[in-house]
Amino acid sequence: MMIRQAAKKALGITSRQSTPCSVGIFRSYHENVIDHYDNPRNVGSFDKNDPTVGTGLVGAPACGDVMKLQIKVDEKTGQIVDARFKTFGCGSAIASSSVATEWVKGKAMEEVLTIKNTEIAKHLSLPPVKLHCSMLAEDAIKAAVKDYKEKRVKTNGA
Amino acid sequence: MNRARKLVASISTLSTRRRTYSPSSSTFRTISIINSQTHHSSRRESFQPSSSAKPLCLRFSGREFSSGSSDTTSSSVCWNCGSSSEKAAFLFCDSCRSIQPIDDSVDYFQIFDLEKKYELDAGSLEGKYKDWQKKLHPDLVHNKSQKERDYAADQSAKVTEAYRTLTKRLSRAMYIMKLNGKNVNEEETITDPTLLMEIMELRETISEANDSKELDQIRSQVQEKLKQWSDSFVEAFESHRFDEAVKCIQRMTYYERACEEIVKKL
Repeated sequence: MMIRQAAKKALGITSRQSTPCSVGIFRSYHENVIDHYDNPRNVGSFDKNDPTVGTGLVGAPACGDVMKLQIKVDEKTGQIVDARFKTFGCGSAIASSSVATEWVKGKAMEEVLTIKNTEIAKHLSLPPVKLHCSMLAEDAIKAAVKDYKEKRVKTNGA
Repeated sequence: MNRARKLVASISTLSTRRRTYSPSSSTFRTISIINSQTHHSSRRESFQPSSSAKPLCLRFSGREFSSGSSDTTSSSVCWNCGSSSEKAAFLFCDSCRSIQPIDDSVDYFQIFDLEKKYELDAGSLEGKYKDWQKKLHPDLVHNKSQKERDYAADQSAKVTEAYRTLTKRLSRAMYIMKLNGKNVNEEETITDPTLLMEIMELRETISEANDSKELDQIRSQVQEKLKQWSDSFVEAFESHRFDEAVKCIQRMTYYERACEEIVKKL
């Protein structure tokens, strides 16, 4: 994706800049963030209409970010077997959703609902101004689980 | 020597009195008076405490000394020459050509002499901006005092910020909401599926588009949408439907981001 390439270039520059100024605060992306950027895991989509798929679509209007997180659930065990994400936004938002897809895999739905944005933020060393990106990821997980459950109710009810 | 001592004595009496009006900056004012005294001995008589009891007659800077009220209806006084101005945005004294300190109560619309509404004439805004910079730009004050150079830096920056905010439709909309006490930029997550799906598809189309013709086409479509929602914003805002206005601004933010992506790709 061109967006990623362009952003990669931008990130590349920030991470390799040396900081001569001792007084100013130099903020760069944490290496975990850059890692998720250079080696994105789980980018993509599942079929929305697949009954084993839950789709969480959330947005942060303040910065114009939009995040889609999808989970594939094993119907028998209730465990999340796979996850995909697609995020349009800043590097922190993309990395947050990428981390989220990694963390939900292999876990039970109830367990992933306990994933907190602060854990994601800590893992990526997000600065305060980017904390809302991790919040967005947490909301995306919850939305995906909610969507799956609602679909189940519908199919069971029908 | 005696005269000077008398002067200092009278000034310190004045500054004691002054403290009831503006405790934090009385020292500053005393110094400025002494300085101006040494240079303008002819004006000494105005500083005799017996001649007047009203603080307004004395050449202290700023609005703190005007008769008690701190609202924008009180006139501003130049710190350098003392001439007063009725203007709401007193950035620059036309009499002595000194730059004035920042007044936080002056909003961006006042700086450009505009009504506090969403629609404005972009051409005249640019003209006024350039006029201000001709007077306030820090490059013009090299030979002036450090204080005035600081004022120039602050005022020039504020005017630039004001111009930038008011030129772009989206930032103007957010600013006007802010002036009305509605802060739009809260970090809340939205889950409106229709809006988000539309934006998702839009961004996907942009990232998949490869030639500039296609991108230009998408861009004009998005600009169209921006205009549409900008009009909806005006309507909602003027009817005081502020929640709706916020939604319009949210949409506009998404469209603006999409435009930025297109520009980056082009």
